[in-house]
Amino acid sequence: MRESYVIIYVIGAIIAAMIIGMSVVFLIKAIKRAKAIGMDKKSITETVKNSAIFSIVPSIPIVVGIGIMMPYLGLAIPWIRLTVIGALQYEVSAAFAAGAMSNTATTAQIVTAIIVMTLSIISGPLFNAIFYKKFQNKLASIQEKNKHKMDSITGALLAGMLAGIISALIVGGAFGVGAPITDTSGITTYGEITLITLSTSIVIMLVCGAIMILGKQKWIESYALPISILGSLLVALAFVPVFAA
Amino acid sequence: MKNLFYTPEKRDDYNNQMHSLGRIFTWVALAIIVFVPVAYALAAGEQPDWALLANCLPFIAGYWAIGLIEAVSYAPLLGTGGQYLSFITGNIANLKLPCAINSQNVLKVEQGSEQQEIVTTISIAVSSIVTTIIIIIGLIPLLIFQNEIVSVLKPISPYVMPSIFGGLTMVVIAKYYKIAIIPFLGCIVVCVLGYSLGFGSSLSVATMIIIGMVISGISTTFLYRAQKKKAARLEAAQAPSEPNNKDVENKY
Repeated sequence: MRESYVIIYVIGAIIAAMIIGMSVVFLIKAIKRAKAIGMDKKSITETVKNSAIFSIVPSIPIVVGIGIMMPYLGLAIPWIRLTVIGALQYEVSAAFAAGAMSNTATTAQIVTAIIVMTLSIISGPLFNAIFYKKFQNKLASIQEKNKHKMDSITGALLAGMLAGIISALIVGGAFGVGAPITDTSGITTYGEITLITLSTSIVIMLVCGAIMILGKQKWIESYALPISILGSLLVALAFVPVFAA
Repeated sequence: MKNLFYTPEKRDDYNNQMHSLGRIFTWVALAIIVFVPVAYALAAGEQPDWALLANCLPFIAGYWAIGLIEAVSYAPLLGTGGQYLSFITGNIANLKLPCAINSQNVLKVEQGSEQQEIVTTISIAVSSIVTTIIIIIGLIPLLIFQNEIVSVLKPISPYVMPSIFGGLTMVVIAKYYKIAIIPFLGCIVVCVLGYSLGFGSSLSVATMIIIGMVISGISTTFLYRAQKKKAARLEAAQAPSEPNNKDVENKY
């Protein structure tokens, strides 16, 4: 594994502390505001609980991502990169672009890769720091003048996002049947397992819905999505050796 | 500074306070993030490969464009607090946004309401805390059992997205099926064409989100205008049959 310097661990710790601090401040502000507008304590507690439970399983692949990048970049840099804005595929692509995803990469290439990773992701936060307030005020004025129009915009963006993701998964999965793809980080995707995982997640969600409605088990609503994520990932885990063989 | 600590009574004041806090945290985060490569170069006593860095400029430019598109298009979905938090902590499409949508759905908050904004902020804040803690906890076993952990969990990493979005789509489909059907079909056509023509690998989930949002934006605009025209026609058709104020006045 490549060397990590103490100063980088210190910066990593500062970044992690800052993210937790920022989240806690926003959480407290939002909870106070929720109370001020009359939202009941139960709803707030339920939101906190649901969000915490939901976030556990999707966070695990981020840890795996650190493990994938560790041999080439050490522990501290992947930790920082995957704690702040970014994602494994993007970080690996950036490291590849600079030739750093190799055991023979020079320190100069590693420094270059870290610069590329850093510079590439800052446009979003920069937009927020400079323009977002104005942009959000514009959105708020649309909302005030014509709520239906604003609802249409948010509905369209959400529907478009879901349509894009689901179509990429279905078609990518269908074209990947019998033709597994191994990406730059060495992860192999089997189309069959993508489709099986997607279908299992849908089926588990439908079963939870049926239990909730027919069995009058309202409590299950809060856990339905975490259950479907975990259940379908366990099915995926069971199928990996089948297709890898 | 005092303005950052009091609890505002009006929605506008709350929003302004979130903007102020969000901007401060974003600038601080950017400063620290940008310092990382500088610190690494100083610690390693090595300069970057400037020629290689110049070669990577198109890559950086591409991601700048994606980052800006994402910042604009996610803004109406994330709300003020959620936007600042998400663009520091990342993993928006695969974690923060689904987490917020799930909470909105469980609590059945009205779209565009302040409750929705607050629930979104709480969800994303909690999600960011949980993820950061899980990553920190994961570092220790990762240092000791890196090979074992990666070999067990790496094969299922590509299936996290289908596991989230299979269930989540079922949850929100009832709400959005009317406006989602055209972008869904459009995206399917784009994907099938892309894969058939041999550039399927370019159609990642991130790319398809942007394509989906563009198609959905166009189709929803048409639907919105058609609805508006229909409503105007209905109004015009009903107008003569209903007595207006003048008619009522003339009667008396």
